[in-house]
Amino acid sequence: MPDLTHVDGYPEIPVSLLPSRGMLQTGDWRNLRPVLHPRPSPCTAACPALVPIPRYLHLLAEDRIEEAHAVFTLRNPFPAITGRVCPHDCEAACSRATRDGAVSIRVLERHLGDRAADLPHPLPQERSGRHIAVVGSGPAGLSAAYYLRREGHAVTVFERRDRPGGVLRYGIPDYRLPCDVVDREIERLADMGIGFSTGVSLGEDVTLEDLTTDHDAVFVATGAWRERPMGVPGDDLLTPGLAYLDAVNRGEAGLPGAHCAVVGGGNTAMDVARVLRRLGADVTVLYRRTATEMPAIAEEVERAAADGVRFEFLTQPVAVAAAGGRVDVTIEQMRLGEPDESGRRRPEPTGECGNVVFDAVFTAIGETADLSPFPAELIGDDGWLTAGPSGETGDERVYVGGDLITGPATVVEAIAAGRRAAAAIHARLEGATTPAWAESLAEEALGVAEVNPAYFPRRIRLEDPPSAAVAPLAEETATVSPVTALAEIERCYSCGFCNECGTCFVFCPDSAISWDDGPVFDYEVCKGCGICTAECPGHVIIEVKEQL
Amino acid sequence: MKWSIPITEGMHPGNLGCQACGGALSMRLALKGFGPDTIAVIPACCWSIIDGPWPVHALQIPVFHTAFETAAVVATGIKAAKAYQEKDVTVVAWAGDGGTFDIGLQALSGAAERNEDIVYVCYDNEAYMNTGIQRSSSTPIGAWTTTTPDERPELRPKKDIMGIMAAHAIPYAATACPAYPEDMLRKVRRAKETTGGMRFLHVLSVCPPGWKMSSERAIEAMRMAVRSRVFPLYEVVDGEDTTITYMPEEPVPPEAYFEMQGRFRPLLDDPDQLDQVKALIDKKWRSLVARHEATHGSPVAAD
Amino acid sequence: MSERHLLTGNHAASYGAMLSRAEVISAYPITPQTTIVELLSELVASGKLDAKFITVESEHSAMAACIGAAAAGARTYTATAGQGLALMHEMLHWAVGARLPVVLTNVSRAMAPGWSIWSEQTDILSQRDVGWMMLFAGSVQEAQDFVIWSYRAAEQVYMPAMVSMDAFILSHTSEPLLVHDQDRVDAYLPKFRPLYDLDPSEPRAYGGLVNRDHYFEIRHKMYEAMERAGSVLAEAGAEFGEVLGHHYGPVEAYHMDDADYVVVTAGAMSSNVRAAVNALRDRGVKVGMLRIIVFRPFPFAEVQTQLAGRKKIAVLDRNMSPGHSGIFAAEVRSALSAQGVLPDVFGYVLGIGGRDIRVETVFDVVDDLLTRDRPERALYVGVKGLPIGPARTDGEVHPIEPLPAEVTP
Repeated sequence: MPDLTHVDGYPEIPVSLLPSRGMLQTGDWRNLRPVLHPRPSPCTAACPALVPIPRYLHLLAEDRIEEAHAVFTLRNPFPAITGRVCPHDCEAACSRATRDGAVSIRVLERHLGDRAADLPHPLPQERSGRHIAVVGSGPAGLSAAYYLRREGHAVTVFERRDRPGGVLRYGIPDYRLPCDVVDREIERLADMGIGFSTGVSLGEDVTLEDLTTDHDAVFVATGAWRERPMGVPGDDLLTPGLAYLDAVNRGEAGLPGAHCAVVGGGNTAMDVARVLRRLGADVTVLYRRTATEMPAIAEEVERAAADGVRFEFLTQPVAVAAAGGRVDVTIEQMRLGEPDESGRRRPEPTGECGNVVFDAVFTAIGETADLSPFPAELIGDDGWLTAGPSGETGDERVYVGGDLITGPATVVEAIAAGRRAAAAIHARLEGATTPAWAESLAEEALGVAEVNPAYFPRRIRLEDPPSAAVAPLAEETATVSPVTALAEIERCYSCGFCNECGTCFVFCPDSAISWDDGPVFDYEVCKGCGICTAECPGHVIIEVKEQL
Repeated sequence: MKWSIPITEGMHPGNLGCQACGGALSMRLALKGFGPDTIAVIPACCWSIIDGPWPVHALQIPVFHTAFETAAVVATGIKAAKAYQEKDVTVVAWAGDGGTFDIGLQALSGAAERNEDIVYVCYDNEAYMNTGIQRSSSTPIGAWTTTTPDERPELRPKKDIMGIMAAHAIPYAATACPAYPEDMLRKVRRAKETTGGMRFLHVLSVCPPGWKMSSERAIEAMRMAVRSRVFPLYEVVDGEDTTITYMPEEPVPPEAYFEMQGRFRPLLDDPDQLDQVKALIDKKWRSLVARHEATHGSPVAAD
Repeated sequence: MSERHLLTGNHAASYGAMLSRAEVISAYPITPQTTIVELLSELVASGKLDAKFITVESEHSAMAACIGAAAAGARTYTATAGQGLALMHEMLHWAVGARLPVVLTNVSRAMAPGWSIWSEQTDILSQRDVGWMMLFAGSVQEAQDFVIWSYRAAEQVYMPAMVSMDAFILSHTSEPLLVHDQDRVDAYLPKFRPLYDLDPSEPRAYGGLVNRDHYFEIRHKMYEAMERAGSVLAEAGAEFGEVLGHHYGPVEAYHMDDADYVVVTAGAMSSNVRAAVNALRDRGVKVGMLRIIVFRPFPFAEVQTQLAGRKKIAVLDRNMSPGHSGIFAAEVRSALSAQGVLPDVFGYVLGIGGRDIRVETVFDVVDDLLTRDRPERALYVGVKGLPIGPARTDGEVHPIEPLPAEVTP
């Protein structure tokens, strides 16, 4: 810089001598300072397992499969499974849902799960010296086993049946969740060093007391397998639906007849109806309320209807009689009255009845848990096991979770319960630090109104593509290709998470944001105009008051 | 990054533009398209100040500051010298609406008529903003300025500068908007690469103080201008062939644009005039669509 | 080879620009300048002159184009007259502040209204405060030579220069002249080395915002350059004599050795003054002529030296600064008063709007000079019905009479 205290230091003309960089401190103009402030997205907050969705989608979009899988499995070890069967509460909460359709998160999750299928789970570095027993190898048990094993604990999973998997293997039909997918997940868990002890039944082969004596903690997640009977005359002629699915999944049952009925409106009822339909039957679903009150996943109801399953709403079997090898059902017409304790309108009999004859009638009107292995002091006055938010019971060594506690719920809720119990168990046994997978959401999720969809043209969302398989119970959908997945990920606004879209960088009028795989703010020149804050699609940049 | 916008900057961090200045953003984006082999000529306009006071300079290209009405012809002179020296460099006149539509119109028309080998960019904030928000012939109907206050509102429509440039039959003229940066960058590059005569870009440039709006909505305002068809994005080649380069897929009514800005209060308070304005916007859009269809021989979804 | 030709002043100027190897020429037509640029466009079209020729749409743009080209490293030339020079005024300032050695030939003519295409100096003298060097050509030879001389000096101090030529009297009058040899001119006038050159390798801003802390210093450097310009012009004028055979200086002194009375003049009318001086000397009047050639920077030393000790000075002004006096008279007076010795200076305003200045007119002026006791600021010569004398102050503005009835429809 020449000497400007003397005229001889000046140039002959007003020609610039310096770049403005570092010379115009326009950062002094600022009242508000933009900062990156990631927050949970609405989809993440709605997910029972709290999977950090925008974050893993971003990694997946960059083909960073290992990292995407590592981020995902901090919350849910089984994307290939939930990517097939989850009711995707995340999509209902998606900021894009009311505009042109939620991001197809479940389809993308399945894509990740299948691409990561051969990735080994993390092998623990050291042995903790602790041994935990997990009873039940359904999603809750497997989840708890996975997280505990990550921390170096020895884990043995006790399973009543001769193969692990629980409802994943014996409940959900193959066309939704093929057994080989379940096998693959079990194998990966075994490769972590988780021990499986099959053919062991709690209460018969081993008691809870045995397990608590031999282990540092016990997590019981035996599910809800006791099917409710209809409680009407002749109901012994009705076939329990879950048992039928179990047999079909074992390859030990087939089509019982050409005309079948299924009583119930939940997921089990839809599974039974669709299996029957796929095997070739004419299927009618009898449900005592209407479509609005059906507890089944909406997608499954739609697919059942698309399969050709017929629905008779506001119908209730009131008596069953044999009819020459077939089943004669007396069906009463119902109407809806006031809401009951579940919040749904109570079905009330109208008195009008009719008879229909079917080859077989299946019931799927709910399942309960078998509490017989538990001592009375762990059971509350309401007849259910008393459990804390992470599955804590009155016995500090015993934790519970999954359908055993909630009744029939979803796979993802079970997985979340398993993780919470594992976190609680680990905290009680080790206590010192909280592993990354055990953390909960830091703050409130972003609201839909806060995002900026301007840079996302309307585009129809992705659906599962059909598979090419023809066998009736073969998997009905296929995994999407990476190109298709990428196109769908581009629909994600990335609420609350910086996915390095670069929008802030593009629109800064002051070159105050430079780009290094993400924005770098130059606060010496940033004038606090607020453009980056307003234009960031996921509202990840917020303005904070400048300290004066 | 999902945008195909180059990372390299042609503009240093540090300039004297107001918060959320459309002119600053326009220059920053344009330089990414023009590249370093460029000389700019800047007449009296906001950029005379934005560049910074002597001895600093905010850009990474040489800039010759010049008198208000001379951008197009000083650029002509510079280009003549460089052509004489057989040096290939893009010469860009970078002027505001005042220096283009009004006092600079003579030089602009002269250069266009002679089909000079220069690029002329008008960044248009629709008034004489640098001198404190006085009306220019680019000020739209109903907009408040200090010389069209509420008692004496702006009654004349915005001068059709693109029509004027098309009438000169220059090789390339286009409208652009920094809220659509990839479209703008493509047009900047096309202007740079086109040979055989003069190229003209008309860039809508938000001015939060002059438009009386909050700074953080600056990009949104420009987006609304395009989506409401108040400022369509299109190209005209050789004064004839017209291409609309962005079809608003979710169009909004012009009120959505006007309501964002305090300067349109007089317009919004006068329903008859607002209706006339909307009818004019619609008419111009249909005429643009017709020219596009005549050029491309295929219909477009006009609604 | 240098060659003798018979050319008009305008064409001589064109040759001056051609021999100077102007690289970018930008001009707008205005009578009586038009033949300068017409010939130049022919020379460019035929390839005799390798230059870019821009036919701009106004004089303001002509100067702006030259400024752009000069800033980008080219040697530039333009020409104009009267209204055109006035229109350029804003950009004349720009050339000075940007220190660009543009050379301009002004065919000096009267200002409108009414339209007058005839000789007067008011147009060019109105620009004297801007900072351009100003030279007054008195012959067709000088119309050519001063262009070359101007480039030589302008490109040394980096200040623009304009050469005045009388409308029609010089511009359209043919005289014999020596058209110089190109090689000799090249030896005299080397290739233009610009002070700066707009080029992407030097990403700098030129001519932007300068606040009160800095403007004065940058301007001061220009003021100092202009102070040096006088001696630069003198040296260059001397070298013109060595290389090209004509010696030029800031003034021409004719019959001044023992002159008691001096007629100060400039431009083409000097040839009539010269003839009058010859005749008056024959009659025994000790009169001389001081012709001012370089008007800016004003040749204070030469004027003071030449006019000191004379009895009476008549300054001829083919121009007028209303409310003051003829401009040459004002400048001569101020030069002399700086010295402290003030011979009587009589200012004569004549030839306005192309009114003929003849040898007889000069006789009338000298008669008045010799007989008038006290000097007057501005004495008007040749106004119908008035003797040579100052402006009357007892008049009124007469309303414009309506047309007589016979004339109106």
